[in-house]
Amino acid sequence: MARVRTVKPRGFIERSLEALVRALGHAIESEEIAKSDGLLQHLDPRVKLVGFFSLILASVLSRSLVIISAIFAFAILMAMCSRVPLLTLVKRVWLPILIFTTIIGAPALFMTPGQVIYRFPILNLGITAQGARSTLFLLARTETAATLSLLLVLCTYWTHLLKALRALRVPAVVVVVLGMTHRYIFLLLETARETFESRRSRIINSLRGSESRQLAVNTAAVLMDRSLQVADDVYMAMQSRGYDGEVRVMPEFRMKRKDYAVLAFLLSLSAIAVWLGR
Amino acid sequence: MPEIFDLREVSYRYDQGVTALDRVTLQIHQGERIALLGANGSGKSTLLRILDALYFAESGTVSFNGSVLSEALLRDDAFRFVFRSRVGLVFQNADVQLFNPTVFDEVAFGPLQLRLSKDEIPRRVMQALESMGIAHLKDRAPHRLSGGEKKRVALASVLVMEPQVVLLDEPTSGLDPRSQSQIIDLLQNYSDKKTVITATHDLNMVEDIADHCYILEQGRIVSSGATTDILQDLPLLERTNLIHAHRHRHGSLVHTHPHQHGHGQHEH
Amino acid sequence: MHIPDGYLSPATCAALYAAASPFWCVSLQRVKKLLNTRMVPLLSLSAAFSFVVMMFNLPLPGGTTGHATGVAVSAIVLGPWASMLAISVALIIQAVFFGDGGITAIGANCFNIAIIGSLVAYGVYRVISAGAAFGSRRRFVAAAIAGYASINVAAFITAIEFGIQPALFRDATGTPLYAPYGLSVTIPAMMLGHVTFAGVAEALLTAGVLGYLQRTRPALLAHRLTGRPSTALANEAGTVGWRSLKPLVAGLALLLLLTPLGVLAVGTAWGEWSAEDFASVEGRNQIAAVSGNQAPPATVPSGLQRLSSVWTAPFPDYAPPMVKHESFGYVLSGMFGVGLVTLATMALGGVLRFRGAGAHREA
Repeated sequence: MARVRTVKPRGFIERSLEALVRALGHAIESEEIAKSDGLLQHLDPRVKLVGFFSLILASVLSRSLVIISAIFAFAILMAMCSRVPLLTLVKRVWLPILIFTTIIGAPALFMTPGQVIYRFPILNLGITAQGARSTLFLLARTETAATLSLLLVLCTYWTHLLKALRALRVPAVVVVVLGMTHRYIFLLLETARETFESRRSRIINSLRGSESRQLAVNTAAVLMDRSLQVADDVYMAMQSRGYDGEVRVMPEFRMKRKDYAVLAFLLSLSAIAVWLGR
Repeated sequence: MPEIFDLREVSYRYDQGVTALDRVTLQIHQGERIALLGANGSGKSTLLRILDALYFAESGTVSFNGSVLSEALLRDDAFRFVFRSRVGLVFQNADVQLFNPTVFDEVAFGPLQLRLSKDEIPRRVMQALESMGIAHLKDRAPHRLSGGEKKRVALASVLVMEPQVVLLDEPTSGLDPRSQSQIIDLLQNYSDKKTVITATHDLNMVEDIADHCYILEQGRIVSSGATTDILQDLPLLERTNLIHAHRHRHGSLVHTHPHQHGHGQHEH
Repeated sequence: MHIPDGYLSPATCAALYAAASPFWCVSLQRVKKLLNTRMVPLLSLSAAFSFVVMMFNLPLPGGTTGHATGVAVSAIVLGPWASMLAISVALIIQAVFFGDGGITAIGANCFNIAIIGSLVAYGVYRVISAGAAFGSRRRFVAAAIAGYASINVAAFITAIEFGIQPALFRDATGTPLYAPYGLSVTIPAMMLGHVTFAGVAEALLTAGVLGYLQRTRPALLAHRLTGRPSTALANEAGTVGWRSLKPLVAGLALLLLLTPLGVLAVGTAWGEWSAEDFASVEGRNQIAAVSGNQAPPATVPSGLQRLSSVWTAPFPDYAPPMVKHESFGYVLSGMFGVGLVTLATMALGGVLRFRGAGAHREA
């Protein structure tokens, strides 16, 4: 939850901006890919939701590295058939997880008790077979699951995904809140970005530590204030158009025969994977 | 023409004790096109919200078609149903009005609350979208829209409910000139038989969209009259901060005169 | 960074989804009752705020930076129930839409941060600030401590969830299948980062935002429920409706019934051996089997010998002495444990109510 770095006081504005802009970019990219003409894009969102979730579950349940890798390969295949640029997968999932898992998992190579398969000469540290396999499991599972969930989100409109949740008996009010939150995340991202950019342009000398803290916390406070204000106004706007507390959503999807077929396929694939890898 | 709104000595204060409306009295009849003029903070928005039963008067009475509006009355399902479908408010900040994931969902929100049938709703929505020229945006998310597009979606989402009374809060604020004139055109064509009440401080559009004006200052109505009369009363407009005064130098002479950009004649 | 997929076993994930569900259900009911039509926009915007604020890079004393979640701010401003929902929504969107956090781990992340975090933040704030005048320094400090405590408790629980993985979930060769580090590593590793950076970041954010809101929206924090434009809030400490807690109790009951599953875990958890195990042949064989066939030390480790006599738990080995059948004893111990925790929570609630009903009905 915390990343530690020693930076020039101005750095925190840059880093915050970076994160905000990246989030905005993600959303745009998702829409682009969801619009394009690929295999996954044409499937019913409920099928994708249930099917992908079962595959993610299979990769987390499985006790066989081979099976997990097979699911991973399958995910890559689906990505290629759906016009998802592999570079996107590399940048957003594969590389960051590789780095993260290496940092987190490296000590496990030495610390896990078991059969030593390699010993570093000078340091007298031994990598155990159990340690190596453990790290591989972590890597394989995280990469596979993350690839699948990214695919799901890239190839489906967020609004469709939300409506698909209704099929899983998620209460309508939760679906509406998820949708409204998502919509207003963009408003707040823009507000935060504008605030940071305007502050950045007004800083001439480096800030003292306490000044930077003040600035950062102030921006957050103003953002909270703004959020509450928008909540009030949205409430009035909803009332003005007749909202009485009962959440109503329009039904949207109809399953075609091909959707049932794909769903059956994905579910059986997951079941087989779990069975083989138990 | 029958009376739709009847306000008597209506006052309203914000939480911190700031007076927003001070003993406002006015009547609005069906089919009228009214403008509420006033500088920022004069109480125009508050008045619109009182008319839309989003705020309730602290003192005085607000009647709609003979019924006195109160929190209790708006909790009555039958009355609320009728009121919300008959009166619509377009907010100044389109972002708070666009709270659904897509444009289609947004315009469908009102009809959904009115419990129209699931077949009727798409028909109505597409009709409203087409009349605003935004049918091509129906699957777009609101944060991907331009200012003018957002305004048109906001308008569509209110007009789809076919209200008798349309309240507009600064409909052209924040828009570029072309979008502004588009909105004004839309409003002009819409008006027949509907009652339209517009709050604005933009004097350029007032003539096009209103026959009668009320001027507000610090929550009080300080003047009312036909639009043409009001617009010619330059001292009044300057006093109420609707136009500004220019200082000019002519050689060694300096004179001041009220100045209104746009329609008004600039005379020396 | 929240818990990704693959670090917690499916059983752990399922258990945490099960633990989170009753809280989600109860919150939905209570928030709907309290906020009614305001609920949807207020929850949505609060969730959106939390999501965005998690991206902020906050400068900390000493030239370092950290991230905060806003869970304590949310709990204090909205009350614990609405906060649980709002933060859960933010975490879910982070996980699904932005890939930060695993899908199978949503239950775990929500339980640790949204649920436990909100409860701890709210409880700490109410206890420390009780009776303090509005706008006083004590409230400011209470907010900071609430932020600090909530994130550290969340981190601690996360560390425990990670730490029990290698003992419970390993394959035949002794390879840990999920998170590979035991409690002795995960607890210090996680707590170090949070006791220092994340905790301080959260404390700063909470105190700063609360201070700002005390000046700009005093009505909000005074917990007044009005129909006015200022937002309505939950004033929770006073009312505990037992009926609405039924799902919570049902959920706990279910968890209790499942505790005998612990008996299915063969032998003793890795590392949890007693001095007797080191002395007996059977025990030694067991230890060797689960430690990659490394023979345990010939004699009982002296530290273990010394310390094992310090505390004799009332129910050693989870079985009250008089009870013979293992599973029954397990469940009984579980119930006793839950009972203790429930009593403690109720006592805390009683304390809060007592203090809250005092002169000031303000946050």
